[in-house]
Amino acid sequence: MRLGMVIDLDKCIGCRTCTVSCKSHNAQPPGIWWNRVFTPGSEFHQAAVGNDGHLQMNFLPVSCQMCDNAPCEKVCPVGATYTDERGVVLVDYDRCIGCRYCLAACPYNVRQFNWEDPKKAKARVGYEQGYEYGYPTDVRDKEGQLVYTPSRPVGVVEKCTFCFQYTSKGELPACVRSCPAKARFFGDLDDPESEVSRLIRERQAIRLKEELGTQPKVYYLPASKPNR
Amino acid sequence: MRVDSQPAAFSNIGAVNPLGLRPKNLTEKPLNKVIGISIIAILISLSAWGYQLSQGLIVTNMRNPFSWGLYIATFAFFVGIAAGGLIVSSSVYLFDLEKLKPFTRIASLSAFASVLAAGAMILPDMGRIDRILNIFFHPNFRSPLVWDVMVISAYMVVTFLSVYVQLLPDWKSEGRGFFNGWTKSRSLEEVQKFSKKWSKRISLIGLPFAILLHTVTALIFATQASRGWWNTAILPPDFIAVAIASGTALVMLIGLLVAGKERFTEYNDAFKILASIVAGALVVHFFFVFVDLVIHGWWGKQEAHELFSLLFGRYSLVYATELLLPGFTMFYFFSARGKRSYQSLIFGSVLLFSGVFAHRMMLMFPAFNAIPLTLSLPAAGIESWAYPISVGQLRDGMPSFVTSWSYVPSLVEGLLAILPFGIVTFVVSLALKLYAFLPEKH
Repeated sequence: MRLGMVIDLDKCIGCRTCTVSCKSHNAQPPGIWWNRVFTPGSEFHQAAVGNDGHLQMNFLPVSCQMCDNAPCEKVCPVGATYTDERGVVLVDYDRCIGCRYCLAACPYNVRQFNWEDPKKAKARVGYEQGYEYGYPTDVRDKEGQLVYTPSRPVGVVEKCTFCFQYTSKGELPACVRSCPAKARFFGDLDDPESEVSRLIRERQAIRLKEELGTQPKVYYLPASKPNR
Repeated sequence: MRVDSQPAAFSNIGAVNPLGLRPKNLTEKPLNKVIGISIIAILISLSAWGYQLSQGLIVTNMRNPFSWGLYIATFAFFVGIAAGGLIVSSSVYLFDLEKLKPFTRIASLSAFASVLAAGAMILPDMGRIDRILNIFFHPNFRSPLVWDVMVISAYMVVTFLSVYVQLLPDWKSEGRGFFNGWTKSRSLEEVQKFSKKWSKRISLIGLPFAILLHTVTALIFATQASRGWWNTAILPPDFIAVAIASGTALVMLIGLLVAGKERFTEYNDAFKILASIVAGALVVHFFFVFVDLVIHGWWGKQEAHELFSLLFGRYSLVYATELLLPGFTMFYFFSARGKRSYQSLIFGSVLLFSGVFAHRMMLMFPAFNAIPLTLSLPAAGIESWAYPISVGQLRDGMPSFVTSWSYVPSLVEGLLAILPFGIVTFVVSLALKLYAFLPEKH
C-alpha cells in the first residue's frame, strides 16, 4: 500500500478551509502551518496576477509531498523521520533531536520547528486559557513511535502526517473531508482501481519539483484554463 | 589571576626541566591572563546557552525559512581551522619540510583544540540536546551528519594522540604528565624513540582523516539538491582548500605568538613556508570560487539570477569581505613584504580569518534566502515565484508567511558563539602554560 493524494486545481477555490481544519485537527501550535494555500505568482493570497489586463488567479495548496525518495528521511541522523508501511513519511516526536537538517533538506519547505514551548507560545499569543484544540490523545504507530501528540514538545520538528490518527483507522485526512470544493482525493496509489490512481492516469497529473527526483505521492491535476 | 606572580611560578617549573626545553621568554608571557579571559568567555557563552535552554531556540533569530545560522557557520569555521595541524605535521614527513618540524606540536595542539571547539559549537544548535545520544542509539547511516559525528570523533582522538606522543619524552624527563604510567619502566631514550616513531605514524594516518573531516562536513551541505548554492561537487574540494589556508594560518599565528618578536628570526624560514602554504591554498580556493560562479551563471537559469542578486546585491558587503580580505592575504603572503615581519604575518592571518568567517556565513545567506519551492508560471508571464514559508512564530507585526528572512544573529546567538573561541583559547593557552610546545633550537 502506498497512500497518496490528488489535488484538483480546477476545483480549488483557495478558501484555505483545508489549512484551518489541518491546523485544528492536528493541534498545530501558533505560527505553525502544515498546510498552506497560496496564489501562484503573488506574495499575497487571493491577489490576481498577470500582465496587460490579463489577470488570473489560481491556487496551489502545499503540504508534505510524502516523497518516496524523501531527503528529510535520509538526512535525519537519528531516524526520527521514517516512512511507515503505508508509505507515509512520519516524525517520531520522542526521538527528534532538533538538528533541523530536514528543514534544510526539504525542497517544499513544509517542515516546521517548535522554536519555543507551544504552551508558552499559546499563552503569549493570547489564546483563551483552557482552549484546547486538535485530536485529544497521543497516537503511536505499531512500533510505539510517537507520531502525534496534542501537546508538542519544544525543540522538535513537525509536519503533515496524512492525519495518521484518522487514516490509520481507515478514515480520510481532515483536509480531504473538510474541502468544500471536493478538490482533494486520497487513496492507495498501488491499487490501479483506486480513485487517485484513476485520476492520475486520466488527467495528466503533475508533481512539484519533479526534476529533483523526490518522487512525491501528492499529485496535482493542473488547472485546465487560467481563472480570469 | 595575578599576572605579576607569574614569572616566579613559571621559573619553578622551568627549574625541574633538565633538558632546558622550556623557552624562557614564554614564561614572561601573560598566559594566565589569557586563560582567565578564555574562562570568562566560556562562562558567558555557557550562561547564554543556559538562557537558550530555558526559552528554546526562539531566542535566536533563526526561523523556519532560515533554519541554520551563526552556530552552523561557526561550526564550519572551526572544522576548517582544525585542518592545519595534521596538514602541517604530515607535510613535515611527506615533503621533508624539516624547517617546519619545531611547529608540529603547536600544529597538533591547534588541531585538537579546534576540533574540540567545533564539536562543542554544534551542541547548542540542537533543539533537544537532552536526546543527543540518539545519534549513537539510533544512527541513520544515510545521514551525512552521522558520518560527520564519526569523523569528528576520530579526528579528536587522532589529534589528541598526536599531541600526547609528542609530549611523552618531556613528561618522562620532567616526571609528570598523564596516561604515561607505562613509560616508568622505560628509559628516556626508549620513550624518545617511541615518540619519534609514533609522531610520524600518527601524522601520516591523520592526513586522510583531515581530508575526510572536510569532505564529510562539506557533504552535509553539498548533498542537498534543495539548495542550489550548496549542491555542487566543488564544495568538498573548496572546503579542503579553505581549511588548508585557514588551518595553516592558525598554526602560524599560534607559532608567532609563542615565539614572540624575540625569537621570530630564529623561525623566519618556517614562517615563510607556512605563509606560502596559506597563499597557495588560497589560489586553489579562488580558482574554485571562480569556476563555481561561472558554472552557476553561464547557463543563466532563473535560480542563478536569484543567487547572483543575493551574492552581489543583498549580501554584497559580506561577500566582498569573503573575497577581498583573503584575496589581499593571498597576494600579501606571496610578496616578500608580507612574509617579512612578525606584524605583517599576524596582520595577514587576521584578515584571512575574518574573510573565512564571512565565507562560512555566506554558506547560509544565499542558501536559505533562495526558496527551494520556486515555480515558473508561463501563463501569467512569471518566471520565478517563491512559495511562501510559514515563519514558525506568531507575533504582532510579523507576517505568518514569508519568502525571505532577513537573518541577523541575535545577541544570545552572538554570545553563545563565543564558546568555541573560548575553548580554543583556553585549551591552547593552558597547554602552552603547562608544557613546552616550541622547543629551543639546539
